[in-house]
Amino acid sequence: METVSEPIVTSKPKVKKNSSSSAFQRIFRYSFVRLITLFVTVVIGVYLTIMIANMGGYVDTIMKAEIRERITISVANNQAYKNMPKDQLNELILERIQLEEKRMGLDRPLVIRSVNFLKNAMTLNLGRAVNMNSDAGSRQVRLIILERLPYTLLLMGTSNLILFFSAMFLALALSRNYGSIWDKIVIALTPTSSAPAWFYGIFFILIFAAVLRILPFGGVMDAPIPETFIARALSVLKHLILPASALIISTFFLSIYNWRTFFLINSSEDYVDTAKAKGLQGRDIERRYILRPTLPYIITNFALMLIGIWTGAIVTETVFQWPGLGRTIFKAIGLYDTPVIVGTTIIYAYLLAITVFLLDFVYALVDPRVKIGGGK
Amino acid sequence: MEKNNTVLDIQNLKLYFRTTRGTVQAVDGVDFKLKTNQAVVVVGESGCGKTSLSKAVLRLLPRNVEHYSGKVYLNDIETMSLDDEEYRKQIRWVKMSLVPQAAMNALNPVIRVGDQVAEPMSVHYGVKKEEALQQAIKMFQHVGVPVDFINRYPFELSGGMRQRVALAMALVTAPDLVILDEPTSALDVLTQANIFNLLKRIKSEMATSFVLITHDIATSSELADRVAVMYAGQIVEVADSSRFFKEPRHPYSAKLMASVPRLRGNDEPDFITGQPPSLIKPPTGCRFAARCPRRFERCSEEPPVTKIGDDVVKCWLYV
Repeated sequence: METVSEPIVTSKPKVKKNSSSSAFQRIFRYSFVRLITLFVTVVIGVYLTIMIANMGGYVDTIMKAEIRERITISVANNQAYKNMPKDQLNELILERIQLEEKRMGLDRPLVIRSVNFLKNAMTLNLGRAVNMNSDAGSRQVRLIILERLPYTLLLMGTSNLILFFSAMFLALALSRNYGSIWDKIVIALTPTSSAPAWFYGIFFILIFAAVLRILPFGGVMDAPIPETFIARALSVLKHLILPASALIISTFFLSIYNWRTFFLINSSEDYVDTAKAKGLQGRDIERRYILRPTLPYIITNFALMLIGIWTGAIVTETVFQWPGLGRTIFKAIGLYDTPVIVGTTIIYAYLLAITVFLLDFVYALVDPRVKIGGGK
Repeated sequence: MEKNNTVLDIQNLKLYFRTTRGTVQAVDGVDFKLKTNQAVVVVGESGCGKTSLSKAVLRLLPRNVEHYSGKVYLNDIETMSLDDEEYRKQIRWVKMSLVPQAAMNALNPVIRVGDQVAEPMSVHYGVKKEEALQQAIKMFQHVGVPVDFINRYPFELSGGMRQRVALAMALVTAPDLVILDEPTSALDVLTQANIFNLLKRIKSEMATSFVLITHDIATSSELADRVAVMYAGQIVEVADSSRFFKEPRHPYSAKLMASVPRLRGNDEPDFITGQPPSLIKPPTGCRFAARCPRRFERCSEEPPVTKIGDDVVKCWLYV
């Protein structure tokens, strides 16, 4: 009568020796295959990024033209070569151009170099930037990224965490009061999310910085840097308010609307009705019968939100003069600085792959229906 | 009628839903009584309001309720006047429990079935978890589910076992009344017979009353003491089962009984012409008139409810 397969991973009681070792084998095999596929995905993704960042080789042409122009001008303006014959001068210029192209690696075709780029990227050897440097003066891509990362994590982390939790719990409350006046207000305000964060940012700057003069226009800290740590922290906090609120407000109502619909669908399940008939309190119904069965989905959203923090907010950071990664990427794209672009992408790709890999295990932990490697 | 052995007394219960096409009068003035340790079978076609009736009695209302009124006495407690919290504490699962339709979805997929069965004990009686689980184990034995299943999840059980678990869950607090909403509709015939034998045994062993909502007249006939026939949101006949299965009074009941194939005899199963009326704007007068083989002029007026002994019929033929 009962249709029960072998013991599942998460159920502890009475797992026999041989079945537990087969479960281990199954998980091991699954993890191995999964890691390989994810690795291949990352390789393909990064290689595509390298090719796109180089515009399929067109960046080489741009760089070569730039080198030619720079060297020609510098030689022409050099007083020491003023009396040199034309032929000799041209030869000198050509020689220097070739030297510079060789230094930049432009003498070899992109297809060959791209393999090298790929190898360096995959081993997290991020290399040197072409044009950019960190504020401390280093050309190391790693240092450029590390210098900007804390600011991006601070801004994106604060706003995304506040947004995620407030939207989810407000949505839960709204789904409880379906059709109430608050529910209607939120639905009516959902289109506000069609405007991007920087749009709100500009208005916030106008209102709170220009007119009311209670919050700074941008940046991360007051101009003479405060002495004590607490004063510095408070200063950063003050500068954080406007960009963070702009980021939050721009997706706030849409997020609530999304979650609300999600909870409404899940609270019309039969087992939620049964729980109500059983006389459970509303709080327990929400915890055990709505949130618990949907935990995999919620965790997925949370994890993807966390890695989404990494990329920063390009335009909002620019509007608020916030020295984050978003602005760095933006600048790198403008300067065709492929090592920086690839550097940020590779870290994001790795984070994404690791998250996806770990999520499978988290699903199996929180949802008894999921069995790792249990498919056909 | 002796008040104290009446477990359920429904008076003029109404439940209307709001839809984009108009108001659906799903339950439209239902009256009936049920004595202790009896089972009433509510039969009717799909869409006649059977499930809405169970939802109205259990106060499991969907979001689009437009009108909800009437009186429901449960052991002399008037439940309709209780507020939600009082109702939750005093009635839900303490006095009245539910075996839901399609037990497949009625169990939480991520909680062990033992915990789900034990849950009402801890919610209503503040019992410790081990004690509640002991009670759940007792109930599992009672309904014929292997005891070691308490640590399983619903997806690890077959349909029949799940239905038994749902039944164990409904009985765990020993409520006065259990409402079974098509408990066997998703099961195969053998399992259906098993479940009904189980229900019969439980009824003889425990002092529980049952409201069994079904469209399966044949299987339910074994369990029923009383039969209530529902048509287009109204109860058209309530009768003792022994009498009802022999000679139903209401023309609709007669047609319904004639549609059930029989093991012995040469009668071909009959069918009812036409469609049940829409519950959005039900016809005035008798709602069955359009399909009734025995209609006459008076059927265009609303028929009164006629009492014949303990039985009730809503038809002009018996006035």
